[in-house]
Amino acid sequence: LIEAAELEGPLFELEMALLESDVEMTVTEAILDRLREELTGATRAQVKGTGTVVEEALAESLREVISVGQFDFDQRIAEADKPVTIVFTGVNGVGKTTSIAKLARYFEERGLSTVLANGDTYRAGANQQLAEHAENLGKKVIAHDQGSDPAAVLYDAVEYAEANDIDVVLGDTAGRLHTSNDLMAQLEKIDRVVDPDMTIFVDEAVAGQDATNRAREFDDAATIDGTILAKADADSQGGAAISIAHVTGKPILFLGTGQGYDDIERFEPDVLVDRLLGDDD
Amino acid sequence: MVLDDLGSSLRGTLNRLQGKTRLDADDVEEVVREIQRSLIQADVEISLVMDLSDRIEDRALNEEPPGGTTARDFVLRIVYEEMVDLVGESTDLPLESQTILLAGLQGSGKTTTAAKMAWWFSKKGLRPAVIQTDTFRPGAYDQSKQMAERAEVTFYGDPDSDDPVEIAREGLEAADEAEVKIVDTAGRHALEDDLIDEIRAIDDVVQPDRSLLVMDAAIGQGAKDQARRFEDAIGIDGVVITKLDGTAKGGGALTAVNETDSSIAFLGTGETVQDVERFEPNGFISRLLGM
Ligand SMILES: Nc1nc2c(ncn2[C@@H]2O[C@H](COP(=O)(O)OP(=O)(O)OP(=O)(O)O)[C@@H](O)[C@H]2O)c(=O)[nH]1
Ligand SMILES: Nc1nc2c(ncn2[C@@H]2O[C@H](COP(=O)(O)OP(=O)(O)OP(=O)(O)O)[C@@H](O)[C@H]2O)c(=O)[nH]1
Ligand SMILES: [K+]
Ligand SMILES: [Mg+2]
Ligand SMILES: [Mg+2]
Repeated sequence: LIEAAELEGPLFELEMALLESDVEMTVTEAILDRLREELTGATRAQVKGTGTVVEEALAESLREVISVGQFDFDQRIAEADKPVTIVFTGVNGVGKTTSIAKLARYFEERGLSTVLANGDTYRAGANQQLAEHAENLGKKVIAHDQGSDPAAVLYDAVEYAEANDIDVVLGDTAGRLHTSNDLMAQLEKIDRVVDPDMTIFVDEAVAGQDATNRAREFDDAATIDGTILAKADADSQGGAAISIAHVTGKPILFLGTGQGYDDIERFEPDVLVDRLLGDDD
Repeated sequence: MVLDDLGSSLRGTLNRLQGKTRLDADDVEEVVREIQRSLIQADVEISLVMDLSDRIEDRALNEEPPGGTTARDFVLRIVYEEMVDLVGESTDLPLESQTILLAGLQGSGKTTTAAKMAWWFSKKGLRPAVIQTDTFRPGAYDQSKQMAERAEVTFYGDPDSDDPVEIAREGLEAADEAEVKIVDTAGRHALEDDLIDEIRAIDDVVQPDRSLLVMDAAIGQGAKDQARRFEDAIGIDGVVITKLDGTAKGGGALTAVNETDSSIAFLGTGETVQDVERFEPNGFISRLLGM
């Protein structure tokens, strides 16, 4: 039998490893508490040391967290009534607009047409940024003047898609911090008025302990269906994925892996778990 | 705000020492654990947290408290001194002619910060110009130009060029009249060798008086490697922490300050050009420790 005291050393090391990988502290603690409970009093496989048993249990536990709610994204889009409206949310500068441009390419490769809608009517240069992406990709962009109602832009884009047989509406929103009550209320309004088929939360792989706060707040304001974790190329750890999946209970769908239009990958839970546990192969 | 929680949780722990004159090992361990927890939750890099807490523990156990000092005040003073040591003074920014180069990760807030700093310097009576060298990000030129308009400062950029080094060279000439030249650059990260080479080339041409690393308050443990790479490439003289209007604590910036042997210059607290504050370490640490 494994004694509680024997576990503390290996568990402490795992705790540090998770924290070093940017898994948020309360999420780390929740994972470790479950491990401690599971392992105390369990019989040890004869040949294995405590460390190995703990590590295997951790891998299992991480896999469970990170695989939460995974669904076949391509199939869901393929089967949905057209046009499918997807709205992208998240804090400032994480990669929402770039991810939209990448997904326009992604859908094109799967035979689906898209229209881009600039619901960021706030930030300087937002219209020009999305317009330039659209031009590079040969897509139509719907935009209104700066300062106008973002919901109206998205609404127009849906109408355009209906009239022109477009399959997918990719709706951008302005970056906002979850502490801004006004902007979070605006996001709720967009969600209510546009009633999108899917809401995708975008965050960045380099994010640390704050990842849980914002994921929770955005999910509360406009319920998310899944997450894109951009800038995965800048960070080899990606513990933010664990934090976000844990607090939202929604799957990580894609990783952004660079600034190019093809730099987007379907998220593979096992790859991340191996990376977090340091078995790179 | 940065490390606010350290203040409240640490105060709680310290208050339990109230009335004690001597510290025992258990007291110290409890305080140290609380400090570790707060710093980690603020995104300070783990090994830095451990170094800092080891020093605090060592001093609390081995130094003789000055006569008449309570246990609580003694620990508080050690923590204060160690934090001052880590954070240092605010980056020196003389109110005179100078060139400042901004660098940092994609989306960290460089372009917004360039306009904010220009606005800040203009309020101090200097004539600033923003020079935009980002030829990569779609809309970067328009974004920067619009932000400079909002800050009511001179702007230079070239939407048709694809050579950031050339734009920097021409921009510095075109902005000759300006006293403070702020050179914005495209976003890049530590693993992008070609882009690191590019900023090195920009740095060679610009010969900045100061290079500032612009960091998102929410950056996690990766702050260390990112800061190291920028330090090695161009030398970092100061850090700007952005997006402090959220709930992120900005501990990654402390990691960066430690890694680059520099200091904090500005804090960004919103999306408009006025949302910028000069970093003030004393008030900041005192507030942090509830003194
Ligand atoms: N390295 C890397 N950079 C990325 C990735 N995704 C986006 N970026 C860059 O990150 C920066 C910000 O991206 P945006 O798409 O403008 O982010 P956003 O969330 O729309 O920003 P706001 O609209 O200002 O809130 C740009 O420089 C992008 O090129 C990625 O996967 N990897
Ligand atoms: N709330 C808040 N948002 C900020 C702050 N600083 C910048 N932002 C926002 O963060 C996003 C990214 O800012 P940019 O200035 O475009 O960042 P950047 O580093 O120039 O990005 P790239 O050029 O793509 O690397 C934008 O939405 C800004 O409005 C801040 O202090 N608070
Ligand atoms: K330095
Ligand atoms: Mg955007
Ligand atoms: Mg920029």
